[in-house]
Amino acid sequence: MRTGKKLQAICPKVYAEEFSRPVHKIGMITCGLAVLANLLPPAWLYLQYGVFPPAAAIAKGMGLALTYAVPFFIIEPIIYYPVLGDAGTYMSFLSGNIANMRLPCAAVAQAVAGVEEGTREGELIGTVGIALSIWLSIFAVLIGALATGWFVQFFSPWLQDAFKSYLLPATWGAVFGLFALRGLRYAPAALVLALTVILLKWPPYIAIPITVFGTILVGRVIYCHSHGRTLGPDRQRTPEL
Amino acid sequence: MDWQQIANGSWIWICGAVLAAIALYQCTSFALLAVKLLRRYGLEKREVMGMLRGAAITSVGPILVELFVMVALVVALSPGIAWQREGAAVGSVITELIQATNAAAGAGQELGGDNFDLIGFANVIFVMNISCIGWMLAAGFFTRYLGRARQKIAGGDDRWLIVLSVCATLGIFGFWASTNLVKGGGALVAVVAGAILAAFFFKLADRIGKPRLKEWALGLAMFGGMFIGKLSAGWGG
Repeated sequence: MRTGKKLQAICPKVYAEEFSRPVHKIGMITCGLAVLANLLPPAWLYLQYGVFPPAAAIAKGMGLALTYAVPFFIIEPIIYYPVLGDAGTYMSFLSGNIANMRLPCAAVAQAVAGVEEGTREGELIGTVGIALSIWLSIFAVLIGALATGWFVQFFSPWLQDAFKSYLLPATWGAVFGLFALRGLRYAPAALVLALTVILLKWPPYIAIPITVFGTILVGRVIYCHSHGRTLGPDRQRTPEL
Repeated sequence: MDWQQIANGSWIWICGAVLAAIALYQCTSFALLAVKLLRRYGLEKREVMGMLRGAAITSVGPILVELFVMVALVVALSPGIAWQREGAAVGSVITELIQATNAAAGAGQELGGDNFDLIGFANVIFVMNISCIGWMLAAGFFTRYLGRARQKIAGGDDRWLIVLSVCATLGIFGFWASTNLVKGGGALVAVVAGAILAAFFFKLADRIGKPRLKEWALGLAMFGGMFIGKLSAGWGG
């Protein structure tokens, strides 16, 4: 089922006119609409139920959330762009599940078609693979949310308490364990910083930024030290984290 | 009014459907543009079907994993919110859980705790929806400049970008894991068991040569850690 030999090289001018240009236009409009769609739930909650959080709660909550999210706003599009291309980037940052679903689907579609990633042909084929995965995941999540909501009512009180009291702690531990494997030398710094600010009883809106940015700073020092670098960026590539 | 009644209302399903419709319109438009050009340059219909089949098969595993993990969001908030945030929103279940926890903390409450009320819920809705907008703005307005931005930030060292992401993730999850470590008892056991199980399943996948096990590692560790935490707290605890 490899088609690389049959598929002709796509003319750059045709590609720019008939794919890149409309993709950027549709991408900007749909991402703009998605921003508005994300404003809808808090607005609806206020208009129908008259409920809106106090400004102080919003400020603290957003501060904590952005401490976590802002590095990824910048880093993730940059990391994934070379593989996803223009259309894949627009789709992936609207629909999510990039590393676990969109990238593998693009890669499989490219492998089946026998084209290489980073080429014009590869981007077109990756676009088709990602689009299909979005259709499938949206309908699966709809059915899954309905079914899970129905199932939960049959959970015993013991099981309901297990979910309520211990699922989140286990989740934080599991994700930490997973990332500790990827960066074992940076994990102790995160734990020491977190435990220090918690034991000092500092509020989360101070403690979380200190933990996150402190870990990044320690990570930079360890990274540079272990590769014999200065703290500024350089062009040497290394095989390990 | 009780927050759980509001969280299960039709309004949140409609909000999720609006976001899903935008995502479906976008991806369908892109796919049609791509297929049109590919067909003109020699790709046959049966080959398009082969690509679609490959992508569909690849999607099945991650989708099942997502549904498995999504139970956490359904239980912590509601099925409607799980649909609105996971149908077509950028954050994974784990990202949404951490942002909901951050939002509840911002309101001085604990997600899933006895003090979680309507104000905490309203803050969760606000923060989860607004804090993810940065990804859409980054994609919507900066995609055409990303190639150049990557070179500037990495300074030619792509490996540092990965280390930075790992450190940021370790920092935030290290913090919330530690808040449960200091509680002791079942919460401490759940954190430690979750971490050990996740690392174990990941290593096991490499050792037995089954990379697909990695897709399930996080979900298995979450639920395994939860049960071990609950059992350590006592059958009735």
